[in-house]
Amino acid sequence: MRMLNQDDEVDAEVTWEDQQQINSFSKLNAKYSDLEEAYNAKKQEKEALDDLSSELELVDEDELIKYKIGEAFMSIPLEQAQLRIEQEQNFILEELGKFKEEMDSLNEQMGKLKGILYGKFGKAINLEKD
Amino acid sequence: MSTRQAEKSSPDAVETNPRGIPKVQFVENVEDFIEKSSSTVEVTLNKFQETVAKYKFMEVNFLSRKKALELKIPEIKKTLTVVEFLISNQESNKPIETIFELNDTLWAAAKAKSTKTIYLWLGANVMLEYTLQEAKELLENKLSSAQNSLNNVVEDLEFLREQITTMEVNTARVYNWDVKQRRIKRQAETS
Repeated sequence: MRMLNQDDEVDAEVTWEDQQQINSFSKLNAKYSDLEEAYNAKKQEKEALDDLSSELELVDEDELIKYKIGEAFMSIPLEQAQLRIEQEQNFILEELGKFKEEMDSLNEQMGKLKGILYGKFGKAINLEKD
Repeated sequence: MSTRQAEKSSPDAVETNPRGIPKVQFVENVEDFIEKSSSTVEVTLNKFQETVAKYKFMEVNFLSRKKALELKIPEIKKTLTVVEFLISNQESNKPIETIFELNDTLWAAAKAKSTKTIYLWLGANVMLEYTLQEAKELLENKLSSAQNSLNNVVEDLEFLREQITTMEVNTARVYNWDVKQRRIKRQAETS
């Protein structure tokens, strides 16, 4: 939050309603950055899985794969390994979709609040990311 | 019990969130507020700062709790996948070939017979034997309760954030009001 310059001073009283809108904006903004971080981490995970599944195409069919489950590597047939990766991929895709949807909705809500708050307070308020 | 109810119904009672974190007071009108508080602007600003510091302290606490839970949840998930793997392997009578960590950076190969029971480390130097199904249920419960507390912590953090923002806006407004007040005074003196 920035203090007012004399030139930017707007004689708008902050009402409780404004305050609540400022609060929700700040909340949404924090939520958005958390989500963004989670989204990027998931995306990397997904890329790793994609690499894996194409790598597994090259493996001999009756070879056992050492697949890390928990803390140990278990030897499992190729087919099972592929199934596991596929399940994981689907799961991540679903999560990515959910994150994206939520981020879009947050963006929309923030845009609305921005419009209202800038409309009232003009330069007296700063809602941009640093 | 009765006192608690009395507190709840009294209009002066501090509003809190579901987990008892108090809500800050929003300054509706700076002039009235300063007059009513019968203290100087400086004292008021100091009080505000103190309040913000208290909320920030709580925020730090909650952030570390959030971090702990964010570590704990994948741990539980990991254990759960192993249990589920063992369950899916229960029917086959072929042993599981595995490479496991014997010590840091030291791995060994082992064959593990399919098993009906496993031991779960419960903490405090206690390990208990569970059937696979029981272990699965226990872990699922733990997972959902951990996720629940994480949701609560996230909610509390959002709430704290709101209180801090409100206080910061309060501070800025009282400060600006004071600056304006001084300017008016100065102008009155010079003219």
